Formats: sequence, C-alpha cells, structure tokens
Amino acid sequence: MGKLKERIILKGIGASPGKVRGKVKIINFPEEIDEINKTGIIVASFLTPDFLTIIKRSPWVSGIITNKGGLTCHAAIVARELKIPYIAGTAVATKKLKENMIIIIDGEKGIAYA
Amino acid sequence: MPKKLDKFKKIKGIKEVQRYGLPLPETIFIFDFEKQEKELNNFLKDREYVAIRSDKENGLDFCPHNLRCPRDKAKKLIKDLISKGFAIILHEQNHIPLGKDQNKVSGNILILKKYMLIELMRGEPLILLNRDGKVDEHIKVDKNNLKEVKHFGERIIKEETLNKILKMVKPIPPYKIVEFTIAPDWLFFWQIRDDKTAKKLEG
Repeated sequence: MGKLKERIILKGIGASPGKVRGKVKIINFPEEIDEINKTGIIVASFLTPDFLTIIKRSPWVSGIITNKGGLTCHAAIVARELKIPYIAGTAVATKKLKENMIIIIDGEKGIAYA
Repeated sequence: MPKKLDKFKKIKGIKEVQRYGLPLPETIFIFDFEKQEKELNNFLKDREYVAIRSDKENGLDFCPHNLRCPRDKAKKLIKDLISKGFAIILHEQNHIPLGKDQNKVSGNILILKKYMLIELMRGEPLILLNRDGKVDEHIKVDKNNLKEVKHFGERIIKEETLNKILKMVKPIPPYKIVEFTIAPDWLFFWQIRDDKTAKKLEG
C-alpha cells in the first residue's frame, strides 16, 4: 500500500481498526442493509441503533464510514465488537463517495483511499 | 455493591462515579414503588421537574426516559416503568443539558493505558453523542503529561478546563468511558461505562 498515500480521498476518526477493500454502498435507511447481498463498505450519515441491529445480523458489511460520530459512540463500540473497520466523523463521506466506487479503508488511521 | 445491583448496567456505572469520588447530581434509585414511596416523595418535594431514566437487569442499552418530567407526572411514570420490570434512576433535573446550550459542554472520556480520548459536544444530553453521533470536538491526550497529541473538529472547551477534568478521571483504570457535563459553575459526571473493545485502540 506504499503509493496509496497519494490517493487519499477521505479522512476521519479511526474508530475500529483493520484494513479492507470493497465497493461503496450508500445507506439512507436501516432496511437497505438487509438488501445487500455482496460484501461491501457501507457509507451513511450515521448509524443509529436501528442500523446497528441489522448490521449485527448481516454477513455482508466489511467496512463502515460515517459523516458523524466518533470513538465512544455506540456505533464504534459495535464495529469494534464485530471487528469491522470503521472511519467515523468524516463530515462529507456521503457526498464525496459514490455508489459502487472501489475504495480501501484503514480503520486505525481513519483514512480512505481510492 | 450488592450482587443484584451489578446486573443493572447504568446503575452500576453511576455507583462507579461515586466510587471514584467524582461529583454526581443528586440521584436516587427506585426498585420497589410501594416500599420506596416515602423516599420518592421526599425527592420530588420542592422540585418542579425531575429527570427520569430507567435500567433493566442484564439490560438493554436503551431504556425509556424523560429528562424533564414535571413533578405531578413523575410518580405515574415511575410506577408504570417499575411494573414493566425497569429500575428507576431519578436525577435532579436542573443539571441535565437540554437543547443547544452554548454554556455547557457534554462529553465522553475514553481511558486507555497511555492515552485519554475525549469526545465533546455543545450542550444537549449525552444520548445525542452516544446514539446519534453528534460530536463537535475530538481530542487525544497523553495520559502522563496531559499534553494534546491529536485534535479534530471545533475547539469548544478551554485547555485548563479540560485538564481539570482529566486530572479527576486519570486514576480510573483503562477501557472505561466516563460521561460528564460541565457548565460555568458546575461539573457533574453521569456514569462510567466499560468498553472492553477499546483495547483495539491502543495501536
């Protein structure tokens, strides 16, 4: 991943460590997570408890990015429990990232690469 | 702490605030309405509003609450929640931040072995930070010298104010989240939660 520094597309708070590569899936409502049938990185404004309940039972969520949130929010604690890399507090993820875009996220550093 | 109380996550967290000698707003716990009615009446006396939270054994993260309940409606709500198996946490109401109060800052301090991670928001009850992700400022400090090593977001708290709080929570062991609100003339802690997953953030 040496050259990836040049292609940083988003920075936030590293809320759950781990690196993963996958397709972006923009989520607006909790039930949209149930419709996912391929592994992907979900991108949302934030993940309230309604979203988290569904994420816990979904086998397809490999990474998470949100506009809001931080390390101590329930969403971050759940992501760490489930060992899902998570970048919180990006402010602009839902605007900057596009559906089906392939990205890599580093949940420790809080950086997304395209 | 009696073994049974240990099963109530929030009540256990409030007891931990007392255990570490941190200031807590006036608070009582109600488990049995009939037996504790006199204690409840004494608490409600002379108060216009109270803050009612609830907790359940081996519980849920989210339990019913009314953070600004008029005194004349409090007993009915408490009786109803107890009949449904909840225990009641009753706080004095005037220190609960509600709305966008620019004079109050609420936040969480996550304690690690070498660092403390602080997340803050202006005013508002902490439920908005914990459940809805409202965070205005993130700060990482070295636990030894309390120097800032990382900062993200708006500056909403003065360094000396934060340092005063951090010195109070420094003795608390790692992997706990300490919840607090500070206003110009008071500082209160709400609860201390365990976060075993925080070990992953040691880096």
